[in-house]
Amino acid sequence: MNRLQCDVVILSLIDNLKEKGSWCGETHIQKATYFLQKLFNIPLGFEFILYKHGPFSFDLSDELTAMRADMLIRLQPQPRPYGPSLVPSNGSESIKKHFSSTLKKYDRNIQFVANKFRNRGVSELERLATALYVTQEINPNGSSEFRAQCITELKPHINMIEARAAVKEVDEIIIESQEPK
Amino acid sequence: MAKNIHEIRDPIHNFIRLDSNERKVLDSRPFQRLRYIHQLGLTYLLYPGATHRRFEHSLGVMELASRVYDVITNPANIFHDTVRDEVPPLDSFKHQYWRQVLRMAALCHDIGHLPFSHAAEKELLPEGWNHERLTLEIIRSAEMESIWKEIKITSDDVAKLAVGPKYFREIYFSNWEAILSEIITGNSFGVDRMDYLLRDSHHAGVAYGKFDHYRLIDTLRILPKEEDGSIEPVLGIEEGGLHTAESLLLARYFMYTQLYFHSIRRIYDIHLQDFLKEWLPEGYFPTALLDHLQLNDNTILTELFKAADDVTLNGHDPARRIVNREHFKLLYQRNPRDVNENPDSAKAVFKAACDKFGENNVRKDNYKQGGNGHEFPVITEDNQIFSSLELSDTLKNVPIVAVDYVFINPELYQDAVKWKKENIQTIILLRKEENHE
Repeated sequence: MNRLQCDVVILSLIDNLKEKGSWCGETHIQKATYFLQKLFNIPLGFEFILYKHGPFSFDLSDELTAMRADMLIRLQPQPRPYGPSLVPSNGSESIKKHFSSTLKKYDRNIQFVANKFRNRGVSELERLATALYVTQEINPNGSSEFRAQCITELKPHINMIEARAAVKEVDEIIIESQEPK
Repeated sequence: MAKNIHEIRDPIHNFIRLDSNERKVLDSRPFQRLRYIHQLGLTYLLYPGATHRRFEHSLGVMELASRVYDVITNPANIFHDTVRDEVPPLDSFKHQYWRQVLRMAALCHDIGHLPFSHAAEKELLPEGWNHERLTLEIIRSAEMESIWKEIKITSDDVAKLAVGPKYFREIYFSNWEAILSEIITGNSFGVDRMDYLLRDSHHAGVAYGKFDHYRLIDTLRILPKEEDGSIEPVLGIEEGGLHTAESLLLARYFMYTQLYFHSIRRIYDIHLQDFLKEWLPEGYFPTALLDHLQLNDNTILTELFKAADDVTLNGHDPARRIVNREHFKLLYQRNPRDVNENPDSAKAVFKAACDKFGENNVRKDNYKQGGNGHEFPVITEDNQIFSSLELSDTLKNVPIVAVDYVFINPELYQDAVKWKKENIQTIILLRKEENHE
């Protein structure tokens, strides 16, 4: 997938998240993109590391800034306690038209992730994305309890009850994402 | 008896002081090598004063990092309980330990730089390598380990703060460690940037990079950055320092557009890269530490001049272009109208120019600013915390630095300009076939 194709997938993700009620700050886009890459193997090519608040990609952060430079998205400040939203700019429409087949190809996957994330808060997204990271990249065969324990060790500010709930939900999301439509 | 405190004169910070233990790092071979790495590569071919080196910049970063540390850990400057829990008490062992680690990390943050700094980095290191990885390797080398042992700090702690989480990916950063690394490498208030803007501006003889860093540092605070239920302590600022923060970020914008990404400076970097590709064994810089430490600007310049004078030597053509100042000329640069048509307009022009004039006669350059340094917490006099973007229209509107250049062999310049004028609209058109993967 070339850079502009990646950009239209991100643009569509932003559109869908906003449509479903997300205020769509960078954290939302980071975590949603992580799910998109991991659940559906969409070749966006962003490298994620387990950072302070869960999986985070410096490459994606740079690409979002590059998209601002290319007038595809812009920052929209929000009152506290929300960080700035990222919203599509005027330039985004024509590029989406040009890459309509890419959008069509991944539309169902984008809708799926946007539906799961809709109006969730940043802390919730952090827990879910960390649960997916632990499940897919650290302990693919670990029991729910073991993976929850792993989350609390990696992120001491997440308690065991929250970790268990996140692992349970991620397991359900993984199964649902694999169901034929 | 050895002097305990050593003073070094510096054109930006007047005196930089370090103790005898820290002096051992300064005297080490990897650090001394930085005396022979130009801070701005070949920029001195355009701005003759810009001959300063990574050596003095690294000292400057250490000095500013210490100043920031002393301000943000001062109990009088800590306002929130969430932050107080993260900061070690003044005069505690932990406070002193991390101050020492921070100073040494700041001193060593550029220790892995290749000759000519960033001029030839990306293309000339094997896959998976960059100067940050070389910095990590040097900090953890046997030579440096023995010094860290004497100073009683660990190499991993120094390495963590020196390169930050972006490049030291296998290790977890606590909130406190993330703040300390932000002091050096942070996007908004990193002292690496503060020093290079002030220093480069001073030596190049341009005023764009200057800002009131005394005021800025005095008003830095660790503040909770809240985002919809998530709280994270980060570097922020008192409202009184907001205008100096604006001037820092504007200084960055102006320095990038006027100096660092000056088109002629960039084409010299590209010619240097072309020379090195031909001159280096297999086209890559060595990553073995001893080999890396033997290479500096002086060793490369000697070979560059030889190659410029001898048509039979590898890299003759790019070398003579640098030495005789016969660089390629700027044919195209991005502009808002074209970017609106096609965000990758320069790529399209490059491809078309290569097809028309041959790959050897065309070069391209591309850079887009990364991260988001304009958003940080600001505390007002009545202890309310706002996002900088809520309080500052200036920060909301600082443009993102984005550069796209296409260069052409000077002998073809007139023809190429005519060709571009006649065909640009067709060239940059996003074609339907690009829809296919």
